[in-house]
This record gives sequence, structure tokens and C-alpha cells, in this order.
Amino acid sequence: MRCIALVAALLAAQGGRISYESFALPNGLRVLYSEDHSTPVVTVDLWYYTGARNERPGRSGFAHLFEHMMFQGSAHVKKSEHFQLVQRAGGTLNGSTHDDYTNYYETIPSNRLNLALWLEADRMRSLAVTQENLENQRATVKEEKRLRVDNQPYAPTFRNAILWPFDSTMCFAYAHPSIGSMDDLDAAKLEDVKAYFSTYYAPNNATLVVVGDFRPVELRRLVNQYFADIPSQAPPPAVSCHYKLAPGPARRDVEDEHANLAAAFRIYRLPPHTDPDIPAIELLNVILGQGESSRLNVGVVRRDKAALQAGMFALTERRGPGVLVAFGIANQGVAVQALDSLIGAQLDSVRSAGVTPDELTRARNAFRADFIHERETSFGRAEALQHYSLFHGSVAEINSDLDRYLAVSAADVQRAATKYLDPANSVVVIVRPKAAAADSGATK
Amino acid sequence: MERLLVLAVLLSIVPSFPLASQAFPTQPPRPTPLSPVRFPPFKEAALAAGLQLVVVEHHEQPVVSVSLSFRAGGIYDPLGKEGLAELVAELLTKGTTSRSAEQMAATIEGVGGSLAASASEDFLTISADALSDQVELVFDLLGDVLRHATFPESELALARTRALSALALELSQPASVAGRIFAKEIYGPNPYGRGATRASYNAVTRDDVAQFAADRLRPAGALLVVAGDVTELRVRGLVEQAFAGWRGGPPAARALPPPPATAATDILLVHRSGSTQANIVLGNTTILPTDPVYYPGRIATQVLGGGADSRLFLILREQKGWTYGAYANLRRYRGLGYWQATAEVRNEVADSALSELLRQLDRIRTQAISDSELAAAKGFLVGSFPLTIETPSQIAGQVANAKLLGLGDDYLRLYRERLSAVTPLAARAAGARLYRRGALTIVVVGDAAQLYDRLKVIAPVRLVDVDGKPLTTAELTPKAAPVSLDPAQFGPHIDSSRVLFQGNPVGTSVATVRRTADSLVYTEHSNLGGGAFQQQVTLVLDPADGSSRRLDRVTIQQGQRSETHLTYSGGRVKGRSATSQPDGSTKPFDIDTVLPPGTIDEDAVAFSVPAFPLESGKSFAVNFFSPSEGIVKLLTFKVGAQESVVVPAGTFQAYHIAVTGSRVPFVMYVSGTAPRRVVKTEYVGQPLVVELVK
Repeated sequence: MRCIALVAALLAAQGGRISYESFALPNGLRVLYSEDHSTPVVTVDLWYYTGARNERPGRSGFAHLFEHMMFQGSAHVKKSEHFQLVQRAGGTLNGSTHDDYTNYYETIPSNRLNLALWLEADRMRSLAVTQENLENQRATVKEEKRLRVDNQPYAPTFRNAILWPFDSTMCFAYAHPSIGSMDDLDAAKLEDVKAYFSTYYAPNNATLVVVGDFRPVELRRLVNQYFADIPSQAPPPAVSCHYKLAPGPARRDVEDEHANLAAAFRIYRLPPHTDPDIPAIELLNVILGQGESSRLNVGVVRRDKAALQAGMFALTERRGPGVLVAFGIANQGVAVQALDSLIGAQLDSVRSAGVTPDELTRARNAFRADFIHERETSFGRAEALQHYSLFHGSVAEINSDLDRYLAVSAADVQRAATKYLDPANSVVVIVRPKAAAADSGATK
Repeated sequence: MERLLVLAVLLSIVPSFPLASQAFPTQPPRPTPLSPVRFPPFKEAALAAGLQLVVVEHHEQPVVSVSLSFRAGGIYDPLGKEGLAELVAELLTKGTTSRSAEQMAATIEGVGGSLAASASEDFLTISADALSDQVELVFDLLGDVLRHATFPESELALARTRALSALALELSQPASVAGRIFAKEIYGPNPYGRGATRASYNAVTRDDVAQFAADRLRPAGALLVVAGDVTELRVRGLVEQAFAGWRGGPPAARALPPPPATAATDILLVHRSGSTQANIVLGNTTILPTDPVYYPGRIATQVLGGGADSRLFLILREQKGWTYGAYANLRRYRGLGYWQATAEVRNEVADSALSELLRQLDRIRTQAISDSELAAAKGFLVGSFPLTIETPSQIAGQVANAKLLGLGDDYLRLYRERLSAVTPLAARAAGARLYRRGALTIVVVGDAAQLYDRLKVIAPVRLVDVDGKPLTTAELTPKAAPVSLDPAQFGPHIDSSRVLFQGNPVGTSVATVRRTADSLVYTEHSNLGGGAFQQQVTLVLDPADGSSRRLDRVTIQQGQRSETHLTYSGGRVKGRSATSQPDGSTKPFDIDTVLPPGTIDEDAVAFSVPAFPLESGKSFAVNFFSPSEGIVKLLTFKVGAQESVVVPAGTFQAYHIAVTGSRVPFVMYVSGTAPRRVVKTEYVGQPLVVELVK
């Protein structure tokens, strides 16, 4: 026994390796687990495969609404008791809605693994989908949209802009906002919401991951006792998304009422997460737009002094097409059109002249560090297992994926830039402030 | 059965009939026995030059976390230079003799690591994280920072600007004001009670920064904690290499004056005009960090106000609905700590909420807490501990905290046991000792005009303004008084200013004063956002007393033009103005109103204030007519001390004038010597500044 533990520790020391096992219940619930007894802590992480991706026209916003409904009580847990029970055990918890999944998790002292599993099982089997809960959570979601989304500069524009590369008639999945339409939510009937719950919150549409200090025999016993008799449901309808890379350049001009400075976004279509180009695209993203030493920061912010802030990020955690976004917020006195050209020039320089060895090293190191830091906590390892389970061909890639990133060459990065940063693949969005910073500035 | 189960486990399948056919429990399952926390063992060593080293070997992931702490926190700031330690921390990583701030950032970023420093009350800590194969580089950078930091003047200016805008934001939030005043009250002359101010940030020079670093960032007495995938031997080698030649005896200890002896409970009511809520903070100084009453005290404080499950939260928020949250906490310093309870409540229930807080304090001091509450509090405190030691950097943080506060070698090992052993009686006794009911400091920040009468029945009330200056109840309702303007300040001139948003120029404003045969003409032309907002103000004034005669104002906002034309005469204002609509359009309306004597047109603020009889410590309450709203507003101008203000036009000794009563409170700086000018205007809580260019 000791010997095996030692070998496992040595393997782990090589850099974020995760050992894991899996099993499935007859009702289709898939379970992945990874033991680690270094700290008496355990994370229970449950992913339901539902997000904006699974919504259909006229019924948008349900995925996010359910993230709220899931804390409103179930057959044996009163409203807000979920939170109280976990807190009294010394644990933490949360949930969040993504494009392709919704997650719920607890990190808790290991002697309360049973509590976390029981709480998740109770709401999977008996969530209180009532008219009263529906109404008050609908109100909460609207409030959240008003305060956290609509009230922030650039946020509503950005949330809309990342949808524009896709045609909502061909790919509704990624062409509508994940917070949904308020009209759709208002029109939602209790029966619609119940139907959504039974289809998407079914055991056969979820994966449970448990990481930390537990004994597998005990885990299997508890999972069996709590989850095995939850009935499976017909599989959710398949999602289709048709899109075309580089259909031709597009451009939109928008006004943002909370912005004080103009901004330029360039949005490029990306292939799904399983595409072999993804590692090169991710390194390209770091080189161009992540960190103080990135090209956009060094070139456009520091040297050209054209932007208050400039950078890039990639949305690639999707089974369908993703997007790569380059952005800049224009300094006063800089025409936003000029800023867009300067950003374009940085992107073009990688397409025509490639990247330097130093840049490649920095990007690889950033990835290596991220890979390892993300796996330092039981929650981080649980999320990594879930990620590989949903977005990769096999969970085993959790221990080989980094090698793909470290093997990316300068030529690969340039090739990815040439292919995806093609102007014909872009949607350029020019954001102008609706009202200048004049309100309080007028009276000097 | 047993064999089948083993087989099923081996094959990683679960049979299709439930083996353990236990039903789903209808109650939450009971906890299983608590696993022991094996706190990672650590090695300690005293190194050359007096540096104390702790190494926590933790080989689970190839990462290393380094923290180096000095007794160089805010309590060591010289009087009048509060904020110095914080600025030193910020500047440490902003340049050395061989690396610029940018090179420093690029070097650590290039290997996927991080390096930064921060200062708390007691300590200044430099922290770094990197993959274990980069640990040599981390030590190289640390050694460079400690021995060769250059503290560039330009980086100090940047850090100061950031600190000042953070302070302005802090002071605009009543909870922060309450916290600052509370600390000052309970600690008195003891440095734990001091906080940085505008004046103290402005007083810090580059020499102060370099001197503080030289005096206090010395190896003797410093604690280096290295946690992660590294060995003690390797760390010793790295330290020798990177810190070679770093010397210096222990920094001077500082005698801390005792806090004031409070003998009775009273209420310090801090007047903040127009507040719709009252921020209550009450508490007192408590114990040294090593006092064993900490454990029962921690449990009692958790039951009283530790979170959403505590008495204060459940009663004040859930039952009564008086507040969004009410909490209590016990704070440890290296010196004397404190405890406090806080609540933000509506004005109308401020007295009820305060009485309830005191009632709950009496209850926990005199009655044993129930078993279920005790279990919930222990469950949280004992249970959450292992969640705080999952990663090397978290472990390093816990070890450093225990060492720095001198909590003893068995502190981390026995922490959970000591909390678990607390009895209801011990918790009650700790409450009785820690919460000094007869000598509490109670601070309430809010609109004293609404709060004074409610609160005085609970305890004697001392009334002060937000700067702590005593006020009388008569001063709570300012009466407008005409101010006679000094015609000597009316000389012809042209002032050009620039408008900055988040530190970036977004436009200009040009003000001129000229004389005609029988009038003064003040004009102001503003252009913001590259033409998105343009405004031309022309104000005709009486040259004898500066009173308004006529206003003409043209505004073009997002292409929408609106005009205002007003005549002031015989105590009336007449004319036509326009107001903006929510949809961005403007709507004209007529004005014909009687004005109180001495009312000034609002467009003349920048013209009139320099001609006020300014003097530090004076206040003015003046009526202004707002043409866009068609109403008279009472603006209060509080004149503070003169300070040195640097703007593109030069360096000025200028009065700090806090203006309230407008939609957004603002601060004007008016140069002290004639001809007086508005050299700078800052909007409270907004990243917006107007500065004189020439």
C-alpha cells in the first residue's frame, strides 16, 4: 500500500498528473473520482450537460434560471438550508452556468462527503419546481441582468458581440445570449420549466466527480444509495450548429450607454475544442493578448499609446465553434478606427512574420504554470476531470494534453494565425460611447 | 453478498439490482469521524544575518511559494507619513539598478510566475509564486529587489495617484468612514488607530521610501517561508547565493503608547449629511494574540455574528428586516487586538437596531449558548480549517501567520482541538471578558439631523463631522448665508484646464474673465469626448459684487443642441432653459422664480469660490440656482488646510475645499495667493479630475 502511494506521489510530482477511476450507475449517471489523502478535504462537483447550447428559440434563459432554482429547496431540504448545512460543516459551495454545461459543487471536510452527496442527490431527485419559486427566481435573474450585466460598460455589447459570428437560424446554440431573453422567461410556463428539469437534470445527462480524501468503497456505497433509484430520462435532443469559417468580413457599429471611451473588438470564429488547432490557437492568444509582455499591450498600449487597455482572449470551452476576441479601449484623442487598424497590424504581423522563440517560451511557460496551478486544489482537479470528460475524446488526455501545448512550434502558431485571423473570418465591432463623460464633468 | 460486492467494485460496474438496498435518507446524514489534519511538517533554521527560515516541503505539485515578511507594516509609519509602508511595498518591485519595472514584470511573467509586495498593520510581505524549476530565478529577483531597489520618482508619483484615488473612493463610502473613526477612537495615540490621509500620502517623499526600506527591510528579525516542491538544503543554497552581502541589525522596536482607558459607553455620532442609512460600529480593544481566551472568544464571536447563521444576522436581518447584514468579528494584531460588531441600517430603525445589538451582547455575556449553536459554530470553524491548507501557498500563509504573531509551535497542530474543547460556560466567560459592555465605543455614521434624537436615549452622544471635528446640534441644519465676494479676485484672465477620466485626458475647458464698460463677462468653453459634449457659457456679472446679471448657455451633446437664456434682476430669475430627457433629447421650459438673497448662478461656481473670504476651517453655505433643473440648491463649502497641488500649470499652495449638496460631491483646490484660481477639481467616487493647464 505504502509503495503504491509513493509511486503515485512521484508520478504526481512530474507536473499536475491526476490519477482517477470511473464507474456508471444503471440510470446513466457517470462518476469519476480521484483519491488524494494529503488534506482531509473533498470536492463534490456535479456537471449537468445543459447550457445556452441546449436552449431553443422562444425558450432561452432556462439554463441560467435553473442555476438559481437549484438553491430553492427540494423534498428534504428547505429553501436556503442547502447553504446553511454546508456552512455548518465548514464547507464552501457554488454553481455557475456555461455555454455547454452548468456546474454545482461543494468543497467540504472529508467527514461530510455524505452530506454533499446527499444534498446533490436530493435536488436531482426532487427539486421544488413550483410556481412561487419560478416567479421569485425569474425576478432575481432580471435583477442580476440589470445590475451585473446591463449596468457595466462594454458588458452588454460584448455579450452580444460574441454571438454575431454565428447565424441564429443555422446555429441558435451559440448565437443567443446565455442569460436569455426576458420575454422568453416571462412567457415560460411552469410545465415548460418542469419539462426542462426532467430532461436536462436527469442522471443520464450528468457527470459526478469526487476528488480528495475518501475511500472508494464508501463513495460507491453512498452514490449507489443516494442516486441509483433516480429514474433516467429520454436523452435530450441533439444540438446542431452549422457555421462557416471565413464567410467574408463583417462590421458593426454600436453605441454603449455606460462606456466613456470608444473601443474596438475584433471577433474571429474558432473550431470546436476537439480540433487539433486548439493548442496553437491558445498559445497565439497568450502571445498576442495576455499579460504585460503581450504584443497588444507592448505595441498598442505602451508604444502607440493608442489604448487604455488592449488584449485578447479565447472562448474555446465548447463542443461547437468558439471565438477569439481581440479588443482595445481607445485613449482620448485616438480615433477608434485608427485603434482598430493598430490592433489589426499586430495581428497581421504574426500572420506574415510569425513569433519569436522568446514569445513561444513565455506562452508555453504560462500554460505549464496554469495547468499546474489549476490542479493544486481538490476543486481544481475536479473541474479538470469534468472538462476532459466533456470536451475531449477521452478523460485520459488530462495527463497528456499539456504535452500537446508544449509541442506547439512557431510555425504552428503562424499557421493558426494565418488561418483564423483572416479578415474574412472576422466581425469588427466599433463601440462608441452613447453620451460622453459630460454629465458630471460639465460643471467644472 | 460480500463477494459479489467486491467483484462489482473490481469490475468497476454496479449491478443492475441495488445491492445495498437502503432507502434514500429523509434527513441529512450524520458526520463520520473527523479525519486528523496532518499539517505538513516544516523545518526551521536561523540563517546568517539573523534571517529566520521556514521550509514546508510539499511535493504534490511542482510549484514553490515564497513569502518574506518584515516588521515593517503601517504601525511603523512616521507620524504624518501614514501610508508610507504601503507605498514602499508597492515600489519594491518597480525597478532595481539593473531592471526597470517593465523588465521585472516581463522576467517573472516569462516563466509563468508572480512577484508582489503588500503591507498590513504589522508586516510588510514580499510574495512570489513559480514552478519549482524556476525557484532560482525567484530568489534572484528577491535578492535584486532587497538589495538594489531604486524606488523611481516616477513610480512613486504613479503609486501616490493610485493611493489617493483609492482613498477618495474609500472616504465616499460610509462603512469605511465608520471603520476609520472607530479605529481612531479605540486606539487613540496607539498606531493601530492611525490611517493614511491625503496629507500623509502627499507628505511622503522618495527619500522617506528609501529610508524606511533601509531601516526596516533587514535580514535580522525577518521571516522567510518557502513552501512547495523544494528541499531545505536547496533553499539554504539559494538564500546564500541571492542574499549575499545583505546585512543589517534588527530594525528599531517601537514602543506603542497604550490605548485610551475608556470608562463608559457613549456614542460618537458622525454627521454625514443626506445619508439614508446609518452605519453602526461598536466594540473595544481586546487581547494580545497569545492569550488563550482567544479560542472561547472566537466561538462566542462566531455565535454572535460570524455569518449568515449567527444571532445578529438572523435577528437583525431575517427576523426584523432592518439591515442587509450584521456581523461581529475578533481581530488579532501582533499587539493588542480588537473586536467589533457592524450593521448598516435604515435611519428610522437605527435606535432599535442599536438597542438590539446591545441586548444580544448582554445575552451572550450572561447566558450560556445552546448546544445546537455551539455545534454550528464549531462545525464551521473546525471544519473549514483544512480548506485553508490545500496548496503550498495557503500552507505558507498559515505558518507565517502563526510565526509572525508568535502563536507557538503547537498552534497549527492544536488549533482544531482547542476550538473543539470550548464549553458553553467558557464561551460565556470569554464574552464577558472580551466585550466590555460598560466601556464600549459606539460609532454611528449617518445624517445626524435624523439620528441625534433617536440615539441620545440609548447613551450620551458626542457629535462630530466626518473629519472628527466637534459639531453642535445647531450646525446640523446649515442656513444659507449670502457671501460677499472679494472684487480684488475679479481680474481679467484666461484659464485653460484639461479633463481626465481614469487618468486619461478626455477633453478641455477654457474659462476667461474680461471687463466691458459696465460689466464683468465670464465665459467657459468645454469640449469633451472629441466633440461629443460641447458647451459655451457666457455669464454677465456685476463688477462691484460679482452678482449674476445674465446667463447664456449653449450645449451640444451627441449632436443635440440646447440653449439657456436667463436674466437675473430684482431678486428674480426669468428666461428659458432646457432639461435632458432619459432618451437623450432635451425639453425646453420657462423659468420665472423669486430667489433668496445672495443666490448665485450655478455656472459661476468656478468664478465665485476663489472670491469667497477663504480661510482654513471656515464653512460657507450658499444658494445656487441650477438652470437645468430650475431649482435653488444649497451647496456647502468646507475649507480645509492648504496643501501643495501639482498640476500641468505648476505647483500651487491651495485650499482643499469639500463641496456637498450637489448631485456628486466634489473637492476644489483654490490657490491661496491672489489672483486665486481653481487649480484642480476632483469628483468624489468618480474617476474624473479637472486640472489647470495654464
